Amino acid sequence: MGVDGSYPILVALWLLPLAGAILNWTFGPQLRRLAGPLGSAAIGASFVATLMLWGSGTQRINTGGVDLVGAHQTLFSWLPGFDFGLLLDPLALIWALIITGVGFLIHVYSIGYMDGDNAFARFFAYMNFFVFAMLTLVLSDNFVGLLVGWGLVGLASYFLIGFWFFKPSAVAAARKAFVINVAGDVGMMFAIFAIFGSVHSISFGDAFAYAGSYATPWLFVICLGLFIGAAAKSAQIPLQTWLPDAMEGPTPVSALIHAATMVTAGVYLIARCAPLWSQNSDAQVLVGTIGGLTALLGAILGCAQWDIKRILAYSTMSQIGYMIMGVGVGAYEGGVAHFFTHAFFKAQLFLASGIIIHALHDEQDVRRMGGLMKKLPFAFVAMLTGVIAIAGIPFIGSGFFSKDLVIYGMLAHGYPWLYALGIVTAGITAYYMCRLLFVTFLGTYRGDVDPSDLGIRHPELAGTSAASTGSEQEPEHAEHDANAQFFMAVPVALLIPPTVLIGWLMFPSTGSGQAENSPWSRFFVEQFPHPVLAATPISEGLTGLITFAAVLAGIAIAYVRYATQPAQVNAIERLRTESTRMPAILRNAFYFDAALDAIFVHTSQLLGTLFGRYVDPHVVDGAVREAAISAQWLGTLVRSFQTGLLRAYALILVLGAACFVVYYALAAGGVR
Amino acid sequence: MNAMAVPLSNYIALSAVIFFIGVAGVLVRRNPLIMLMSIELMFNAANLLFAAFARAWLHNAGHIFVFLVITVAAAEAAIGLAIVVTVFRSAKNVDVDDVALMKG
Repeated sequence: MGVDGSYPILVALWLLPLAGAILNWTFGPQLRRLAGPLGSAAIGASFVATLMLWGSGTQRINTGGVDLVGAHQTLFSWLPGFDFGLLLDPLALIWALIITGVGFLIHVYSIGYMDGDNAFARFFAYMNFFVFAMLTLVLSDNFVGLLVGWGLVGLASYFLIGFWFFKPSAVAAARKAFVINVAGDVGMMFAIFAIFGSVHSISFGDAFAYAGSYATPWLFVICLGLFIGAAAKSAQIPLQTWLPDAMEGPTPVSALIHAATMVTAGVYLIARCAPLWSQNSDAQVLVGTIGGLTALLGAILGCAQWDIKRILAYSTMSQIGYMIMGVGVGAYEGGVAHFFTHAFFKAQLFLASGIIIHALHDEQDVRRMGGLMKKLPFAFVAMLTGVIAIAGIPFIGSGFFSKDLVIYGMLAHGYPWLYALGIVTAGITAYYMCRLLFVTFLGTYRGDVDPSDLGIRHPELAGTSAASTGSEQEPEHAEHDANAQFFMAVPVALLIPPTVLIGWLMFPSTGSGQAENSPWSRFFVEQFPHPVLAATPISEGLTGLITFAAVLAGIAIAYVRYATQPAQVNAIERLRTESTRMPAILRNAFYFDAALDAIFVHTSQLLGTLFGRYVDPHVVDGAVREAAISAQWLGTLVRSFQTGLLRAYALILVLGAACFVVYYALAAGGVR
Repeated sequence: MNAMAVPLSNYIALSAVIFFIGVAGVLVRRNPLIMLMSIELMFNAANLLFAAFARAWLHNAGHIFVFLVITVAAAEAAIGLAIVVTVFRSAKNVDVDDVALMKG
């Protein structure tokens, strides 16, 4: 796969976050406020190491007719076929850049956001541990290493969702996320067994070198197993229900793990296994369809949420649906491109929402916001750039280019229905993101309005608190707060340029209008298979225009509903009507939770009850009881021989001796 | 000189008779002292056989075994009498059929 060699910087890049985690875990109480800078420095150093490895990661050497791309270092060998090592090729490099780069910014942000939390060091220990786990996932050169990283990020996610473990809802959300993810891990594990059974090696190189030799149904099973893992990790239908609940974690966690990096691991997995996927069209259809449906479903549900973080969670699900759809059908550059831009703009959106939540003292319900443009102008600018990027405004929103690559890829690879789905979803995305923006920032502040007037049914559940925006604070607290705001503002400001501009990487640089000529595509030219595609009836430029039309329609509807002058004036009444008339199917997220409960949870409970009531008392206990009864019966039988009469024993002895005598007399052929 | 004026079969027959007298005594009598004496009879039947074969085959191993058996018999008698005394002290009775504490 890569050029073999010794790359100490690569090992450092991988292990630095682990060192940060161990230090923060061990010396947390002594470090106090230094835990944050220490944790951030570990990730920052790791990011620098990634940049230093740019040359190694993109090097290309042709030996014996085989192109070797990237850097490869074997760490240790175990049983035959089990060689563990690190691989940094363009795909891993892109992921490592996001994990350490965006990860570093989010760590710095956390210094401000988590300021004053009792478990400051524990938070950074978990965050560093997560980065280490995620790097293990993307830098492994084999399936087992990948699975180890896969499991560890799930563990880190569990730790961080349940970070505020005194909240029962957070604990429940963490448990749900973990259980669903482990279900996915099992699917992946079986796929890896199948791969090892076929090629007797766990390394990517061996598994992909013989990609053409797998039997087709067998390959479909492998792809299906891998996709179960990917679907659980990346919140695809039907395993998506844990992601909105995961918003119980602190906002930086949502930004790093549940938006930018961990949830895109499924995209990485499919892009990494592109040689397998390209061989099996059934798997491509399945994954593409599920990705497309998830994109649509997430977008529809995004329109029906009131919690600012849950809106973003559903939009994450929807955008990952795009990525999965892209890598699923073979538009690998598009799927990975959307991961790349999404990491920036979704982190931006989450961090901006974190600023709002922080300023409003843990208020997350957008109905109780409103008019924040004047109070939080910086958050507004940050949120606006994020919305422009995710909605896909051409040229000034990075999401436009990457989403266009995915949508056009659907047509190019021969999936017109997914193409249509992608365009519709783009329109809905623009609608619900603008709805979020308008409801939050326009109009007047509604935090002091009675919650029931806004149609909030259970204000105690919505995490509401007394709404004051800093006017009653102690001076010392205010100074503290200013410090925190500084640490929160800088990363957001640094994220604005890439959010706006990074999409230009995917723009054709030679002016031929073909996306294959973009720097982005050239970067991945050896990474992914490039089948020859038929000409499409609609050109890529026209696709962009159609998508933009859908986006404009979405924005227009949102504008009419939330941003016009009458809508702003009547905002309270509007929001109440919308809340009370929300269809039950949307409030319950298409009943996926109920369905999963009915299919898996209730079945397990029923099975458990069945076993508890019948199998355990009758089969398990029964066997033990029967064994005891037989032993007792045997004892009674043997006891009857023990008469206690000395002469009886003597008689038995004599008879026994007589038997011996008779036997030997006969055996010797009678008396001589 | 004829080593054995009396034929070997006579010794074997006598030994068998003495042995079965001893067996019958152990099985029939309930007095432990008589039973011990019966056991001694069995021992000595065996001794007689050992000595007779030793003489007949001119092999001294038989004699050696006789001494061994006499030693064991002495030890057995000592232990047996000790048990009888102990049982008599606790039960005021020397009928072996009454000593059946170990009945299952």
